[in-house]
Amino acid sequence: MISSHHPAPACGSDHCITCGDEGVPMRVTRIDEERRLALCAARDGATSTVEVELVAPVALGDSLLVHAGVALVHLTHEEVAA
Amino acid sequence: MKFVDEFRDAELGRAVAGEILASVEPGRHYKVMEVCGGHTHSIYKYGVDDLLPANVELVHGPGCPVCVIPMGRVDDGIAVAREPGVIFTCFGDMMRVPGSEGSLLEAKARGADIRMVYSPLDALRIAKANPERQVVFFAIGFETTAPSTALTLKRAKAEGVANFSVMCSHVTIVPPLRALLDSPDLRLDGFIGPGHVCTVVGARPFDFIPADYDRPVVIAGFEPLDILQAIQMILRQLDDDRCEVENQYKRVVPHEGNQRALEVMAEVFELRPHFEWRGLGFISHSGLKLSDAYADWDAELRFSVPGVRVADPKACQCGEVLKGVIKPWECKVFGTACTPERPIGTCMVSSEGACAAYYNFGRFAREREVV
Repeated sequence: MISSHHPAPACGSDHCITCGDEGVPMRVTRIDEERRLALCAARDGATSTVEVELVAPVALGDSLLVHAGVALVHLTHEEVAA
Repeated sequence: MKFVDEFRDAELGRAVAGEILASVEPGRHYKVMEVCGGHTHSIYKYGVDDLLPANVELVHGPGCPVCVIPMGRVDDGIAVAREPGVIFTCFGDMMRVPGSEGSLLEAKARGADIRMVYSPLDALRIAKANPERQVVFFAIGFETTAPSTALTLKRAKAEGVANFSVMCSHVTIVPPLRALLDSPDLRLDGFIGPGHVCTVVGARPFDFIPADYDRPVVIAGFEPLDILQAIQMILRQLDDDRCEVENQYKRVVPHEGNQRALEVMAEVFELRPHFEWRGLGFISHSGLKLSDAYADWDAELRFSVPGVRVADPKACQCGEVLKGVIKPWECKVFGTACTPERPIGTCMVSSEGACAAYYNFGRFAREREVV
């Protein structure tokens, strides 16, 4: 079971990244292949569980663009530092 | 930071702005619409419009997910949230969108169990943790967000989570653009395409703009240099007498989009015959509802939803702002009766809304100009 530790940027009172159509670059740190989930870390170190079905297969260290808890695309040119 | 700092480089920005200045015809007025609210936010946050020549005007489009939700839809959400035993979930900005009798946040203050989530998957987790309660997710957003709702519904179906349902208010971006292009109110020279929507739908859905309306489209990223370069590419097309869809955001957007996301959306959703947009009225085939295969998870079938159309407040001019007919500061209540703290209109709610973005950033530059 993958769980979140430091929640990734979410919907605060002044700015909702989901409503804003924002994509968050995140790096895969753990994979639950059976459930098509991955624990991912953003640039600021925040982590969250991400649905990776739409971009599978993913590997540890891959960079993904995440929106509303779902990875939408592999970022092949982007490196998301831990 | 790699792939961030480079796109915020002030010197490079000034160089591109200089090239834009050198390329425009002095006697011509250029109107470019940025479709996505994320672009509007970046333009004001980084002062991109301050770098442009006076005859290059940016017009803010309808691509802010909460700004286009009509008041009646908010009232419908509040009616469901007040049902006994319901936990109502939605994204953060949606909580503050005014309905005819207040917002979801105010309904929460009056006792309804309304919770903010970052993803529909969080709402599903709440449903699994509260099997004795009905958990409803208020789904809003364009094609960027719709796959997340679709995957959540697939998961709910596969895991048999019967106490979960979705009130679907997802919309699609192409029909309002066509409506704007058909509108006699507005003459546009080109479009900055919505980068993150295109990660899902790809570039192809925008082909109709050059083909049917002879206007260039450049799909763009969200950093200031992305936007400046997209404007430069649009002006170059106009200068070369070209008209096509170009992709400035190739480092993220694949031309064909995400086929798997489109397949999941096709399985879970179907087009509504009509959907009401704030300020734009009813637009055919512009909204999504759950398909018959997911009818058991459709909150509109599970609960009694009033579905009453509510007219916008008379003082609010969000419709004209969303159509790019007026600028935010030209609205009668901008910054006085309508502020981000107490919004009258949806454009003042989300930081991607043109009014809120301008209120937070752009008005200072304007005040300098006026002085």
